[in-house]
Amino acid sequence: MQTREGATPSSLQRLRRARGKLRTLSIVRAVVWTTTAALIALLLVLALDVLLDFTRLARARLTPAPWLAAIAVFGWHLAGPVRDAWRATDEHVALWFERRIPWLRYALVTQAELGESNASPALERVVHAAPLEATLSHAVSQSLLRPAIAVVLMALLLLVLPAGAVGRVLAPTTGDALDGAGSQAAAAENPLATIVVRVQPPAYSGLPAQSYDDPTSVSALLGSRVTVEGLGTGVRAMRGDVVDNATKAGIRWRIALPVPARAEAVRLVAGARERVLVLEPIADSVPSVRLDSPARDTVLRVARGTLPLVAEVRDDLGLSEGAFELIISAGGGELYTFRTMFIGSQRFDAGVRTARLQGAVRLDSLGLKPGDLVHLRAIARDRNDIAGPGRGASETRTLRIARTDEYDSVSVDPAPPSEPEKDALSQRMILQQTVELVARRRRMNTAAVTQASRRIAVDQTKLRKKVGEVVFTRLGEDGGGEHEHFAGDGHQHAPEGIVNPDALLAAAERAANVDPTRNLDHDGDETPVVAINRPLLEAYNHMWRASEELELGAPDRAIPWMERAIEALQRARAAERIYLRGRPPRVVVDINRVRLAGKDEARPGVRIPRATLDPSRAARLARFDATLGVVARNPFAAADSLLLIRVTLPAEERAAAVALDAAATALRRGGDVTTPLVAARRALVQQPPRRAPLTAWGY
Amino acid sequence: MAEFIWATAQYDSGDWDSAAMVPANLIDSVARYTSIDVAPTGAIVPLGSRDLFKYPLVYLTGHLPVRFSDVERSTLREYCRRGGLLFVDDHNHDIDGEFHRTAWEEIARTVGPLVDLPNDHDLYRAFFVFQDGPPTTSHELNGWGDNLVHKHLQCVMQDGRIAVLYSSKDYSSEWNYHPDNKRFLSVDNTRFGVNVVVYALTR
Repeated sequence: MQTREGATPSSLQRLRRARGKLRTLSIVRAVVWTTTAALIALLLVLALDVLLDFTRLARARLTPAPWLAAIAVFGWHLAGPVRDAWRATDEHVALWFERRIPWLRYALVTQAELGESNASPALERVVHAAPLEATLSHAVSQSLLRPAIAVVLMALLLLVLPAGAVGRVLAPTTGDALDGAGSQAAAAENPLATIVVRVQPPAYSGLPAQSYDDPTSVSALLGSRVTVEGLGTGVRAMRGDVVDNATKAGIRWRIALPVPARAEAVRLVAGARERVLVLEPIADSVPSVRLDSPARDTVLRVARGTLPLVAEVRDDLGLSEGAFELIISAGGGELYTFRTMFIGSQRFDAGVRTARLQGAVRLDSLGLKPGDLVHLRAIARDRNDIAGPGRGASETRTLRIARTDEYDSVSVDPAPPSEPEKDALSQRMILQQTVELVARRRRMNTAAVTQASRRIAVDQTKLRKKVGEVVFTRLGEDGGGEHEHFAGDGHQHAPEGIVNPDALLAAAERAANVDPTRNLDHDGDETPVVAINRPLLEAYNHMWRASEELELGAPDRAIPWMERAIEALQRARAAERIYLRGRPPRVVVDINRVRLAGKDEARPGVRIPRATLDPSRAARLARFDATLGVVARNPFAAADSLLLIRVTLPAEERAAAVALDAAATALRRGGDVTTPLVAARRALVQQPPRRAPLTAWGY
Repeated sequence: MAEFIWATAQYDSGDWDSAAMVPANLIDSVARYTSIDVAPTGAIVPLGSRDLFKYPLVYLTGHLPVRFSDVERSTLREYCRRGGLLFVDDHNHDIDGEFHRTAWEEIARTVGPLVDLPNDHDLYRAFFVFQDGPPTTSHELNGWGDNLVHKHLQCVMQDGRIAVLYSSKDYSSEWNYHPDNKRFLSVDNTRFGVNVVVYALTR
């Protein structure tokens, strides 16, 4: 063994080369094992898919499994063998060789420890004879052989799997239902067990092709190309009197069908087996046009200036062109002339679904005379080259040029705002007035302040009386109690009738038979009447104090009382109700005793019987009810029956069509079908909502 | 035909049994005014139970916040979709009271948003005639709670019929007395309850 320069490499040089190769080997092993793990995971998922025939959703969830396995194994290698290999010293590598070449008797290790400068010539001769490179090559081949064989075997296994089986797992898409091994097994018995429908929309729509796995019905734009595919042979499609035989494409059958003008049931027949597929056309909507400017009809005294035109146009598939259309009518009596012109025409590129039309019209260039009318609207066309193009138009705006003998007038009947009800002043309002009075008091003389303060005192007294009425009413006295017993409200009273607020509170407590020294909260056996009245009484007292201060011309001293009154009113409002629930006795009503013994006279409205179903609706319902009898025995036949009912529905029965579709799909999938069947029956009975027809001006 | 059983909904949150005398009172009224074959006692049905589907009308009330569990929500949603009628009455009827706020949220989330029921709806003519819509309660007129006289009941309509009937009028307080005490009333205040029952059984 010689170096590039021709000299024999030293044992340490050989050792270091081997160390580099061992590092590379660790990475290669990590990659190979990672590949092996990913393939094992993939094969495992494939095997499960073959056995269980996963749904697309389940397959989508399992798609990351091979990647996760690969990441896990590669991570394990990085954290273990690869890290160890890259951290290994010369001594480690020497020991690795010593284990495989025992007759070295630690000569290599000793040389590694002595280093380049202190190397022993005697040991060098021993090491020189050692087959380090051959040992390393053998170890490499041993290390990579097993995983490499596993990778090759699994790759071969993937190759023999049915075409599309791997794709079903790695990239599940709609339309791959036929690629499953389970589908192929089922197709041997029934070529209609699983079907895939592919829809290629017309070119003008710009829509991508769609695929559907095992659908019961397919909606497609008119002009679309619908292809039904399945596995097996001997399938034909029957549409009324038309019979289409399937073409064979490998192990699949394929039938191309046109989209009918109205919903149609296609019977797919394979020997004694039959399956119904509903094809339903989707109408291309005409463009929707909204005229933004001018925003309203207008009368112009002089046809002068420039009128900006703005419109927004939309289409469900694609716009072709748009413009503003003007119709100018002139004349009068029996002689009218019309002119039509287009402004701001615009063509749109394919795929444009929303656009803004803009333009302007110079009114003086139109040659308008008094009395002339300009009808203006925006129009747009879509790209439908199958049944169209669809043409949409906005509302029409009218501009009229006023005649010289016209006179426009506006009549307005002025009405003053209603007088606010003084009695409605709340405590908060009174407080606000008082605060405002205090704020401007410095700019007023004493007499003016007193006068204003007493005006507020009148409102405060009114409110206090209202609170007093509430309290007295609840305590079982009449609402005029305060008037009879209290002073301070501006009325004259007999001296013996004067009772101060504390006396009133005490009287209320006695009336409610409650100890006044107790907490004011209405817990325990306190009655709700007292619970509500106590804060009201407090508010009443605070109002009293406030009105006294106001009467004395001291509004600033009234403010704290007012704030306390508000706080007490809030408490009264928030006072809880008490529900004396306890445990009520169990009441068993004696039905026979009370039967029809009621004294109030009922006048039940005349029962309106359910509207008789029209014959076609009744027939559909009868067919539906008959189908229900088949559901338990043969759900697939029941699903087909529902689809046959569905195609008899008129176009406006959209809700019923959707409900029947859902019921048929549920029947095919199995499980509890009660809810979709209930919904379908209800939808069949229900009248579809009637929409008002377009007006004569509707486009 | 099975007899009609007045069912009270039992839900996990709140005080579902706050108006314990209402069932007996309404059963008495149904027997008193109609020939409907009615059971002499009511039933209590957990809102999350499949037993809910045995009852065409379920009464739900309380004062406290209402929070349905997932099972209660899904069962109630299916119950309404299958044709059941849930009659909810706010036993609290405070302004933005907890029951009102939370029950509205729950019903909106579970069945759909509540809207005003027109006062000329069939419900008000199903048996007794209420020309002005829902009868007022003494609790409304006395200024209890939210101090409002509610002009309408609210409802969630499904397939042209009432699926959820919601009242802020506190019928639960109004009807929560022993049926024998009905003789002291000049006008039976439970008549509207009969309408609710008749409506639930015939629509």
